Amino acid sequence: MRAVHSIVLLVLLSVLHTASGKADTAVGGIGAEVDPMPVNPYPDLLDDEDGVNAPDLLDEAPLLNEPDQLLGDPIFEDDFTFTEYPPEIYDPLEPLNRAMFVFNDKVYFWVLKPTKNAYSYILPSDIRRSIGNAFSNLAAPIRLLNNVLQGRFEDAGVVLSRFAINSTLGVFGFGDPAYVDFDLEPRSADLGQTLGKWKIGDGFYLCLPFLGPSNVRDTVGFVGDIYMHPVPYFSQNFTFDMTYLVTSRVNLLSISPDVYEELKRISLDPYVAARQGYYDYRRSIIEP
Amino acid sequence: MKHFVTTAFVFFYLALTGLNLCADDHSPTEQLQPVLNQLIEVLDDESLKGDALREKRRGKIMAIIASVFDFKEMSRRVLGRTWNEISEKDQQYFVTQFTKLLENVYIGKLESYGGRSYEFVAERIKGKRAQVTTLIPYEESKIPVHYIMQRELDKWMVYDINIEGVSLVRNYMEQFRTILSKEQYDGLIKIIEDKNKSFAEENRRG
Repeated sequence: MRAVHSIVLLVLLSVLHTASGKADTAVGGIGAEVDPMPVNPYPDLLDDEDGVNAPDLLDEAPLLNEPDQLLGDPIFEDDFTFTEYPPEIYDPLEPLNRAMFVFNDKVYFWVLKPTKNAYSYILPSDIRRSIGNAFSNLAAPIRLLNNVLQGRFEDAGVVLSRFAINSTLGVFGFGDPAYVDFDLEPRSADLGQTLGKWKIGDGFYLCLPFLGPSNVRDTVGFVGDIYMHPVPYFSQNFTFDMTYLVTSRVNLLSISPDVYEELKRISLDPYVAARQGYYDYRRSIIEP
Repeated sequence: MKHFVTTAFVFFYLALTGLNLCADDHSPTEQLQPVLNQLIEVLDDESLKGDALREKRRGKIMAIIASVFDFKEMSRRVLGRTWNEISEKDQQYFVTQFTKLLENVYIGKLESYGGRSYEFVAERIKGKRAQVTTLIPYEESKIPVHYIMQRELDKWMVYDINIEGVSLVRNYMEQFRTILSKEQYDGLIKIIEDKNKSFAEENRRG
């Protein structure tokens, strides 16, 4: 009986999803200009760059105060003036954050990396990937609630469909048939992002012990997300929850590229690189 | 008098280049695509593989990339006001060192990246600037990589790369700004030189 239920639910959800997807394309089609690529779903990166951080020298209204300078050089080679913008990221706790960054660096190289290597040595990568799928599947309520709170109802539908498909056909979420067979990609959302979309400012930058780059808003969001997670809700056992959290993190690390080491390798000031990267990435998912 | 001379020069210059402006009117994507294709060809070239041939391979890659990447513009943007405060000789030297740094970062990334395939999915033009979006497959997903370009006379040239909202130029600019505020230009150039040396050593070790 339960199986029949879930199949009905599954069919309903996929129909709903296809329908809403179609409706969307139709709306996008109206008024779209005739163009080889009429709908550009990617964020507009040409929009906010100027005046935020980098003055655009070749904009319609260049940052040239003296008309002499404009005429003096037709390709603006030498005479342009720069307006210095203050750093965008408010980081009043920088000395403390930098200390935390060093602490995390030690944690990474002394504890996390050896643990990850041992873990990867024991378990083959496809099993680690399946475990990662299961962890991610259990966190679906966070994504569902936040997508709803952000008004992204279509994405919330996808989260629900993925959860239904992967929990059943994917055997408790270890497989990802929702992506493989139904072409449904994950739709992530978190509370820090939700708060950001509600126009709540990020406060100031924080480098959290063990967790790394964050800010006041996203730290609040992280704590809030824990309350949306079903595991602590049902287990009511702190040690179990911490073990769960650490295992899921180590597993995630074992299937992700070495972002931290790469960042360290290519940066001249890894602290600033991580801070700026975090800020820009968060902004890109809050203001698409 | 000064005005007259400069104005005359502008007209003369525009008259000379004006024809060129219309002659070679490629879209940003059309400009970028053949370059990336050539790049992949070199990366796939069996006769150029291996650590021993790194110098030769990178030389070829840099020559290809330089036709569409404007390293001087990147340097100028990344230094901000400091660019105007240093001598022309320093500017030139900075461009070579920063180009070297980007070579190590960007080409090192390309060389280690297995996929070798990409697709052009979108283009956006606003005045003299353009954003060309490519998708690079990574494991099960596809990562959008945006090339930010600007029109320079008759060509579209790349001056920034943006991956998931993170701009290459802006990221280095913020790092440089922090270093400049403490150690001025001389300190910065030394740190970049040291970084390039450490990359060179890393390459030597393989």
